[in-house]
Amino acid sequence: MPGTSTAITALDIGAVTGAVRADRDDTVAMLRRHLPAGTSPEAVMLIPAPGQVVGLHGPAGMGLTRLGLSLVAGATEGAVACVDVRGWLCPLAAWEVGIDPDRLVVVRCDDPVTWGRVVAGLLDGMGAVYAEVPHRMREAPLRTLASAVRSKGTPLVLNPLSGTLPGGLAQLRLEGRHITWEGTGVGHGRLLRRRLVLEASGKSVKGMTRIIEVEDHGADALRVVPGLGAAPTGYAAG
Amino acid sequence: MWYPDWALRRPDTPPGEPAQAIGADHKVVAVNGAAAAFGVTVGMRRRQAEAICPAIRSLTSDPTAEAIGFEPVVAAVEKLIPRVEVVQPGMLLAPVTGAVRYYGDEWALVGRVVDTIEAVTGSGHRIGLAAGPFAARCAAELAVGEPLVVEDDRSFLRSLDVASLGREELAATFRWLGITTLGQVADLPRQAMVSRFGSEGLDAHRLAHGEDRRPQPREVPVDLAVEERFEPPLDNLDRAAFVGRALAHRLLTETGRHGSTPFRVLVEAESASGTTRSRIWRNADPFDESTLGDRIRWQLAAWLDEARLHHGPGIGGGVVRLRLVPADLSDQGRQLALHEDARRAAETHRTLVQTQALVGPDRVLTTRPQGGRDPGDRVQWSRWDDRPTAPSRDQAAPWPGAVPAPSPALIPDKPTPFEVEWDGGMPERVRLGSRWEPVLSWAGPWRRMGRWWEGEPHADRYQIVTSAGAFLCEVRDGATYLTGIYD
Repeated sequence: MPGTSTAITALDIGAVTGAVRADRDDTVAMLRRHLPAGTSPEAVMLIPAPGQVVGLHGPAGMGLTRLGLSLVAGATEGAVACVDVRGWLCPLAAWEVGIDPDRLVVVRCDDPVTWGRVVAGLLDGMGAVYAEVPHRMREAPLRTLASAVRSKGTPLVLNPLSGTLPGGLAQLRLEGRHITWEGTGVGHGRLLRRRLVLEASGKSVKGMTRIIEVEDHGADALRVVPGLGAAPTGYAAG
Repeated sequence: MWYPDWALRRPDTPPGEPAQAIGADHKVVAVNGAAAAFGVTVGMRRRQAEAICPAIRSLTSDPTAEAIGFEPVVAAVEKLIPRVEVVQPGMLLAPVTGAVRYYGDEWALVGRVVDTIEAVTGSGHRIGLAAGPFAARCAAELAVGEPLVVEDDRSFLRSLDVASLGREELAATFRWLGITTLGQVADLPRQAMVSRFGSEGLDAHRLAHGEDRRPQPREVPVDLAVEERFEPPLDNLDRAAFVGRALAHRLLTETGRHGSTPFRVLVEAESASGTTRSRIWRNADPFDESTLGDRIRWQLAAWLDEARLHHGPGIGGGVVRLRLVPADLSDQGRQLALHEDARRAAETHRTLVQTQALVGPDRVLTTRPQGGRDPGDRVQWSRWDDRPTAPSRDQAAPWPGAVPAPSPALIPDKPTPFEVEWDGGMPERVRLGSRWEPVLSWAGPWRRMGRWWEGEPHADRYQIVTSAGAFLCEVRDGATYLTGIYD
C-alpha cells in the first residue's frame, strides 16, 4: 500500500504512552485497528493517538464540530462521550461521521468548575472524548486534563467556544482557515459536500505547520485531498 | 417478609410527614404511610413522586446503614427458620417447608415470626407465604395489617396487575395490548411471548405461571466457590469491602467460564476469634460484580458493627477468611456484542454513573434515530440509565420535505432570531454578530406544513451558504430563525 509508509512516518510514535512506545509495530497496528473501514491513509495523521490531545480553533461555522466528531469516531471502536456546553450538539452529525448511536453518550455541562471534573472522569471509562471548552476556562484545569489524558491513554479532542487553548497543551492543533460548501446554487440544489482548509501544527506534525485540505462528502468525513496537504510553510515557533 | 419503610427507619425522618427514600438510580426505594396515602409507591421515579406529593421529604438511601440495622431482624428470624435469604435491607425470604412441619402449620409459624420480630423492630412488617419467592413477595406487598398465606400460587398470581412484574416498560406494553393481569399473561402461548418480547417476555410468562425458581441450566461439576484468607485479619470495613469486591469479580469470572451467573450467593466469613458467620443473598436478576460487591460490603458492615458496638457474635477480631459460594446458577448472563470487552463495559458504566452524580441524571444522555422532517425531530433523547423506549416517529416513513444530509452539527436549543436581508424573495446577506456576510449560494425553500389544528404556522426552510459557513434557517410569520449551523 503506497500511502501506508507515509502515514506511519507521519505518526508521532513518541507521543504515544510510554508503555507502548517501545513496540512501534504494535502501536501502529493498534491505531489502525481503531480506524473505520475506508479511512484514507492520509487521514491517519489527523486521528488522535492514545494519550493525545487535539485542539480545534476557529469561529463557529468553520466546520470544526463535525471535524472533531470525525476525529473521535476514528480514534476508537469503544464508547464516545461528547461534552456539550451549549446544549446545541446534534447527534445526527455524529452518526453521519461514523459514531454508532449505541456508543454515543452526550453529557451536557456548562459550568466551568464542574466541566474539568466531568471530562477527567470520562477519560477513565470512555474510548474517546470530544469536549467543547466553556468560555472563560482557566488554564490550570486544562493542564491537569492534558496530564490525565497522557496517563490514561484516552484521546481527547477539545473545541474551545471562545479564545484558544494554552500553548503546548495539544499535541495536534488544527485551525480552520477556510471552508467551501458545494451543491447549492441560487435557490436550487442542496448542500452536498464541503472542503475545509486546516492549518495543522504541534508535536504530531513534527513541529512544522502544514496546510491540509479535508473534503467531507457525507460518507467519508476525513478525506484528505491529495497533493494539497504537504507544503510545509516553516517551523512552528517555540 | 418486607418492611416497605425500612430505608426511612432513621432519626432524620420527619414523623407524621410524607417522606420517601431515594436510591442511587433516583427511584423511590421506601415510602412511609403518609406518602403512600398520596399514592407514592416504591419503584416510582423521584420526580414523579414529588409531582404527586410536592410536600414530600426526600432522603437519600444509605444501604450500608440499612443493612446494619436489618441484621438483628435477620438473626432473629434465623433462630426460627434456618437458611434465610436476604434480598435487600428490609426484605428477606425464608424457606418455610421444614419450619411449618416443625411448628404445626403456617399460621403457628407466622405467629412466632411476628412475635419475634416485633420484639426487635416493632410493627410495620408485611409477611407473605407462598410456594415461590415471586408469589411470596407479591403476597407480602399486599399483606397490609396481617400476614397473607397463599394456598395456590397460580390462582393468586392470576388476579395481580402486570405492574407486579416490576418491569415498567413491559407492563406499559401489556396494558397497551389490553393485557392487564398476570392471568392474561399466563394464558398467552409461551412461544408467542418469546417471539414478541424475547427473554424478558419469557421471564414474565414464567413468573405469571409461578415458575420463578430457575433450574440449573447444566451440570457444573466443579466447585465454583472462591475463598480468600487474610493475615493479619481485616478489621477495616473499607479494606474488607475492597477485598470482597475483588472476590466477587473472581467468582463471577469463574461462573462466567461455565456460561452461568448466580441468583443466590452465600457469603461466609470467619473471624479471628474462630466464629464463622454466613448469610445468603438473593437477587431478582443474576448478580453482577457491582451488585454482589455491594451486598458483601453491607453484610461485612453489619457483622463488623455487630461485634464492635453491640458485642454480639459478629466477626470479632476481624475477618481471617472470606468465602463466596454461588447457588441458583442461571444461563442468563448479559450477552456482550462481539467486539465488546466486558471489563471496558463495566468501566464505562462506572464512569457514567459518576458523571451523573456530577451533572445530574438528566444531563447524561443517549440518542436513537427516529423519523422526522427537521434534524432536531430525528433524534430521540433518553437518559443514559433509562431503557430506551420505542421511537415515537417511524424512521422508515417517507417524511416528505425532510432536510437532507449532511445534517447541521449544531442546533440551537430554541429557534434563534436570525437577521437576513431579502431581495425579491432571495437572501442577499446575513448578519453574523456585528458584521454582515454576503450570501454566496442558497437552496430552498422546503416547506414544512405546520399543525394548523394546533395553531402552528407553516415554515419555509433554507440552506444559506456564506464565506463564514453554512446555516439552516426557517422563515415563518415573516421572521427568520436560525435552526441549525453546519459547523
